Parts: sequence; C-alpha cells; structure tokens
Amino acid sequence: MTPPMTPPVTRMTPQTRSRRLVAGLGLLVGLLTLASVAVGYAALDLPAALGDAWAGRPTLPALVLMELRLPRALLGALVGFSLGLTGAVMQGYLRNPLADPGILGVSSAAALGAVMVFHGGLAGSLALALPLGGIAGAALAALGIVVLAARGTGTQGLILAGIGLSSLAGALTALVLNLAPNPYAALEIVFWLMGSLADRSLDHVRLCLPLMAIGWVLMLSTARALDALALGEDIAASLGFDLVSVRLRIVTGAALAVGSGVAVSGAIGFVGLVVPHLVRPLVGARPTPSLWPSGLLGAALVLGADLLVRLVPTRPELKLGVVTALVGAPFLIALLVRRGDGR
Amino acid sequence: MRVSADDLRVRLQGRPILDGVSLSVGEGEFVGLVGPNGAGKTTLLRALAGLVPPSAGRVLLDGRPLCAVSRDERARRLALLVQSAGIGWPMRVSEVVALGRLPHRRAFAALSEADHAAVARAMARVDVTHLRERTEPSLSSGERMRVLLARALAVEAEILLADEPITALDPAHQLDAMDLLRAISRTGTGIVAVLHDLTLAARFCDRLVVLHGGRIVADAAPALALTDPLLRQAFGIAVLRGTHADGSPYILPWHRAGHTREDDHDPSGPDPVRAPDRS
Amino acid sequence: MRASRRLGAAAGLAAAFAAFPVSAGEKPAAPGWPSRVVSLNLCADELVLRLADRAQVAAVTAFARDSRGSTVAAEAAGVPVTRGLAEEIVALKPDLVVAGAFTTRTTVGLLKRIGVPPLELGVPADFDGVRAQIRQVAAAVGHPERGEAMVAELDATLAHVVPAARSLRVLVLRPNAFTVSPGTLGDAIIRAAGLVNVAAAIGRDRTGSVPLEAAALADADLVVVDASETGTPSLADALLHHPILERLRGQGRMVAIPNRLWTCPGPQIAELVARLAAAARERAP
Repeated sequence: MTPPMTPPVTRMTPQTRSRRLVAGLGLLVGLLTLASVAVGYAALDLPAALGDAWAGRPTLPALVLMELRLPRALLGALVGFSLGLTGAVMQGYLRNPLADPGILGVSSAAALGAVMVFHGGLAGSLALALPLGGIAGAALAALGIVVLAARGTGTQGLILAGIGLSSLAGALTALVLNLAPNPYAALEIVFWLMGSLADRSLDHVRLCLPLMAIGWVLMLSTARALDALALGEDIAASLGFDLVSVRLRIVTGAALAVGSGVAVSGAIGFVGLVVPHLVRPLVGARPTPSLWPSGLLGAALVLGADLLVRLVPTRPELKLGVVTALVGAPFLIALLVRRGDGR
Repeated sequence: MRVSADDLRVRLQGRPILDGVSLSVGEGEFVGLVGPNGAGKTTLLRALAGLVPPSAGRVLLDGRPLCAVSRDERARRLALLVQSAGIGWPMRVSEVVALGRLPHRRAFAALSEADHAAVARAMARVDVTHLRERTEPSLSSGERMRVLLARALAVEAEILLADEPITALDPAHQLDAMDLLRAISRTGTGIVAVLHDLTLAARFCDRLVVLHGGRIVADAAPALALTDPLLRQAFGIAVLRGTHADGSPYILPWHRAGHTREDDHDPSGPDPVRAPDRS
Repeated sequence: MRASRRLGAAAGLAAAFAAFPVSAGEKPAAPGWPSRVVSLNLCADELVLRLADRAQVAAVTAFARDSRGSTVAAEAAGVPVTRGLAEEIVALKPDLVVAGAFTTRTTVGLLKRIGVPPLELGVPADFDGVRAQIRQVAAAVGHPERGEAMVAELDATLAHVVPAARSLRVLVLRPNAFTVSPGTLGDAIIRAAGLVNVAAAIGRDRTGSVPLEAAALADADLVVVDASETGTPSLADALLHHPILERLRGQGRMVAIPNRLWTCPGPQIAELVARLAAAARERAP
C-alpha cells in the first residue's frame, strides 16, 4: 500500500512552481490583452493610433484605441480575474468544488440588482448607482448561500438553491426590463444574462476597477483561513481565525468583485467554476496557492473568449456567456458525474 | 500551563448542555473525557477550546479568563484535534501538517526554518514522515488519524484537546493511537481526549472525567472513577473486571444495567439479571 | 359566480365570431366608407389617424401614443388601443383592418380565414412607394382627396430643400447602433438630402447594427442620432452616449434628429430630408 519513499523533496519546489505559474499566466494575460487591443472590426493603424494617443492628439484612431479597444481589453481582464478569483475563494470557503458565482446565482442576482437600479432611473443621477446595484444583488445572493452552507446544506442543496436563484433572478430581470418604460429595454435581457464586452468605455473601467480591487484584497486576505477551513470550521477557529470576519470578508469581497463586474459586462457564467479546477493540478489542492493563478487564468479565459466572439464570423456578435458556457457546461457535467462516482 | 473550567454553564438553543462543570488539566496529564451520548463531552471540549461561549462560569488559561487571551495566543497554546471534518481538499500530507503552524506565522509569511522543523518533528512523532507526499483520498483511516494528530502536534501547544481521536480506528490502530497520546503527554503536553472505549480509557488515561447530563459525576484515577454504581447510573451498563498477569486491572463493558431512579431517560430499562437472557 | 362569468365571456366571444361575417357584410351608413377602422401597426396607425376621420377609427396600437416613436401621439390620444391580438381585433367588429406586411401575422392569418382580408402595407424603399402607400390608405378609408393633398404637400416640401454645397458623408446611428442600410427608404432620404450614406461602406450585421469602432472609424462628416431624451434609460440609448461619440459631438459632427421621423414612411420623410440638408449646409456652407 505504501509506495517506496520518494527522493527527498526540496522545500522551495511548490513555491517556485507557483511563482513561475503566476508569472507565466501574468504574461499570458498581458499578451491576450495586447491581442484584444489589436483585434477589432475595423482596420486600425495601431502604431499611428498609439502615437496619436501618446501625443494627446484626439484623432479617430487614437480615440478608437483609447475609448473602445483598451476599455474592452481591460474589462475582459478585470472581469475575468474577478470571476476566477471569486470562484477559487468560494470553492475554498464552502469546501465545495462546484461553488461558482455563476452556478450559485450570484452573477444573475447582480444582474438583477444592476437592472433594477438602471431602469429605476437611478443610474442617471449617480454614476456609481449601476455597480452599487450589482453589488447589492450579488451581496444578497452570496449571503443567502453562505447562510445555507452554514446551516449544513450540502453540495446538491446549494446547487439546487443556485439553480432556483438563477432562474428567479433571470425571470425578475426580464420582468423589470418588460416593465421598463423605454421600448428598447426589453431587448437587453440577452446582455444581462449572457454578458458582453462590446462597446464598453473607459468610464466603465473607472467605475468598477476600484470596487473590484477592494473585493480582491478582501478575498485574498482570507487565503490562510481558507487553508485552515479545509480541516473544518472548528479547527480553523482553533487555529486563531475569526470565522465571522472571514465570512464577512468573503461575502463582501465576492459581492464587490462580481457585482461591479456584472454591472458593466452582464453575467458571464462558468469561468469561476472551471478555472480553479484547471489550476489545481498545477499548484495542488490547497486553496492559497490557487488564488492568484485562478484569477489570472480567469482573466485569460474571458480575454480569449472575447477574442473568439470577435474572430468568429457571426453577426450580431456572440455573447460572451455563450462561449464560456460552451466550454463550461460539459465541464460541469463531467465534474458532477465524477463526484457521483466518487462519493 | 493549565486549562480549567470554573462552574462552566453552556446553553445551546435554550437547552442546558453543561450545567456547572469545574475541571482542571495541567501539563503532562492525559485526561479521558467519558460519558454516554449527549452528556456534553464535545461541548465541554469545544468550550475549553474557546469555540462555544459559556452562558455562565468561565474557562481559564493559567488563571486568566480565556476570553481575555488573544485569539493568536490561544491558537498557539491550545491545539484542537477533530476527526469528523476530515480533510476538505486532496492536499499533500506535509501541507496538512503545516496548517498547524498557521498560528505561528505572520500574515503572508512563508514557512520559516522553525516551522519546517516543527512540521518534521510532528510527522516523525506519529510516524507519518513517509506519507508526506501522499494526498487525502489515498490515506487509510488510521493514516488519516495520524496525519491529523501530527497537524495538531505541529502547533506545539501546551494543551491538546482531542475529540474522539480513536473512534474510527480498528483495534490495533486504537492501541497505537492511545499509546501515542500517552507518550505525547509524557513529554509535557496536557491532553484532554473525548473517548467512548472505557476499556482503553481506563487502561491508558491518568485520569477520567465522567460527564453525565451536563455535570461531572466523577473526576479521578480510572480505578476510582469507574465504580459499578457510577457505571450503572451514568452509562447504564455493568462491566467485567479483571487483573492482567502484570497486575494491572482492566474493565470490560458486558451488559446493560437497569437505570436508577434519578435517571429520567428510561426508568423501565432491563434489569441486570434478565439482560443476558435477552441477547 | 366566477365560472358563470367565464361562461358568459366565452359565449360573448363565440357570439362575436358568429356575428362577424354578418356585420362585415353590412355596409355602414355612409356609402362605401368604412366606419370601424382598426390598425395593427404603428406605421398604419400614422396614416390612418392622419387620413381617416376620428369617428372612423375604432382602434390603433399602443405604440401610436408613445411620442418618442410615433408622429401621431397627439392624434392618438383618446383612441382605443390594442395589442394586436386576434381576439381583441375580432371583438371590435372592424370593417377595415390595416396591417403591416411583417407584423401581427397570426392575427392577419385569422382575419383572412374568417373572410376579412386586411389591407397589408408593405415597406416602401423609395419616395414613389411612400406616395403610393399614402394614396392606398387614403382610398381605403374613403378620403382619396386627403391622400392627394398629403402627397402634394410632401412634394412641395421636398422641392424647397436646398442641398449642401458638397455631398457630405453621413452615418445614421439609431439606438443599439442600428444604422440605415443601403437600398432602403432611409438611404433614399439621405440621397434626397444630397448626402452619402456611409453605412454602405462599413460592415453591418444582419439586423443593420454596426460595431461602434467601425462607426467611429468611418469618419463620417455627420453622425445623426436620436434627439429625444426620454428620461427612461436603456442600454440601447446609453450606447449613443459612449465617450467616443461624445468626442465626435465635441467636434461638431453630431446631428440630433427625433427618432420617430425615421420609423415610418409617411409625410414626415420630407421634414427629415429638409432637416438633414439643413444640418449639412451648416457643416459645409
């Protein structure tokens, strides 16, 4: 049963591997961001545009670069990082490999919150209203899930609750859009439920970046508690972690990161689910080393999906959630099947 | 170093679980916490670890109220071993054991040389060094228990609180684990272990604390604590007693005994004479 | 109680169906004139409300009352509205139904089955088509002379339009970045104003929507957007306030024209041509 003793393990190996992975993924995200800036629907003389932008000349190419291409690429990276990191943190906290802001309904609840604020006319009076609405929706959903988990609801129960919440939030979103006085509102449902980065602006980046960053910091600050929670809440508490504070930081962090992201890009599913599972074979199952790589891989995934929707010749453009679901749904089913066998 | 409970009372959802418990455990002691299901053993252990707030009375660490001791200091001085939660992710054994060093590390700091040494010591002590690269799903129950014990030992706390450390083990591993716990206590660590096996508890522990209905009904050396009336009253059982060739006494739970009047659970239980005929 | 009411409603519906062919066969008081006109489409609403007597109109669509999309919101006030559902229309016992060629197809199909073929209005692609449609509806509601007058007025307005000195390149951006496809009436309107439709040169999707960067890089001299600010937000409208369009606005390239003028073929297209030409003259005197 016991395999022969493996050669002595040098201590730095896992850490070095983790650092290399983070560096590699960072590079990948950087390259994909550049590619995202370079790819578009109209021919853009990038060097000229860059030169104009640098010199502050408001030429059309410079404007397209700075006001359309750059925000789209940045938002892809930011939203992807948020989704990947939140997925990894929620899986670690709930000790549940299926926990994902999309599956558990946090994203759709964020969309509902954003839609209610936007069509309630509040977004016009306060620029921050839209992300705040998304954050409020996400926070309520995340809180509900954490409370359910605290009451001992298992994986199946959480997933069922998530399905219910997603459907309910989706239906209420459609309802709000139908009741909205603007005749174009009803057409928005696809954007909110499937997500898109088309024609975003730097304003959107400015709006969500600070909120997301706070969310990231809150979630990353729980890393060691997530490790300890692998041995259960009692052990984690005995190791000196304040579990109430941990829960609060995770719920707030997830709400800030996902809520503000969804408010500007709609709900993009499956990224948070898939990414941590892709990362674990490389860094091991302990939550802490998987957090940064999950965020970065999430960014790479969303950037890649957003490149794909621009490169495949379908018009109107595919929604991002379509691409991520095409990748993610089979993955989810495979995971559930394997879990069913295993336990 | 000494952890003690002073007239400790705990209510959960309005129900009294601990009803005036006083107890003290010091360095090098191996104390078995025994009692029937629902007696409040786990709650007492969790209260000693500071995980359950008392409704009255207090827990003291070296005479200081536990609530006045910082979270970090408490984590360094009191280690908790819980079997039931298992290991949530397929982490490597060395990583699991290293979790015991979390109370000693500053935020975001990597494991120090001292941490690595403590992890290695803990693994060597419970003989899991050869498992260090294995992951959770490939561990047997005995291996998992030893890994979790190594994790608790890696804290290098003065007091170890262990909730049912041997319940899931086969007889050989139970003997190993009790031996190990006693050996650990001999190096100065105070141990409080919730146990169900009275035979092993009586054989290995220095002292047995018997809980019944949220109260301590006995707190003494095993031979003095587990008297026939107490066993009948608290556990509802009768035991066989004997003496090993080396002169040490042993007990063996043998059949159910009738409940006494003050036991309100089931006054019409079988009497000691008829019980064997039924089985 | 409730059951009996439902029964009653069912009986009423049945009666309406049964009575329909009879009432459709009967001529109204004034010879040859329909007296219960129902319109099923915003563009039909606009022509019916302008060409028929108020008393002739039994119902129009709810869209007619929305001043943002409709040019006849004032005329539609007080006129009953429907959602274009077959049972609503049948219950109104219309003697003329005017429908669009591509909308409320189920209702139109039912009306055909029960022997009241509606007047179906196509989507004209040029000015002659618009003139023909005006005359068609005017004749159907029994006021051909009003149709002739409307066409004459349209032509008179067009005759007074003075195009800009040079033919500027124009891009029309409607909510959701929909633009004017070549070969449509909108394209004809742009040409009539002496302008060049840039949309012909840039990629559009099947629905006629353009990516914003293509719209920006098309470098149009004039970008036409909706003028009406409804105060009720939508992402479709928000898109037209994208910073890059605000920059173009800063360069004086933006022209605001009410969205409702673009929606339907009718006499308003002359006003559209005039406004476009005026904007172009301002930009290139």
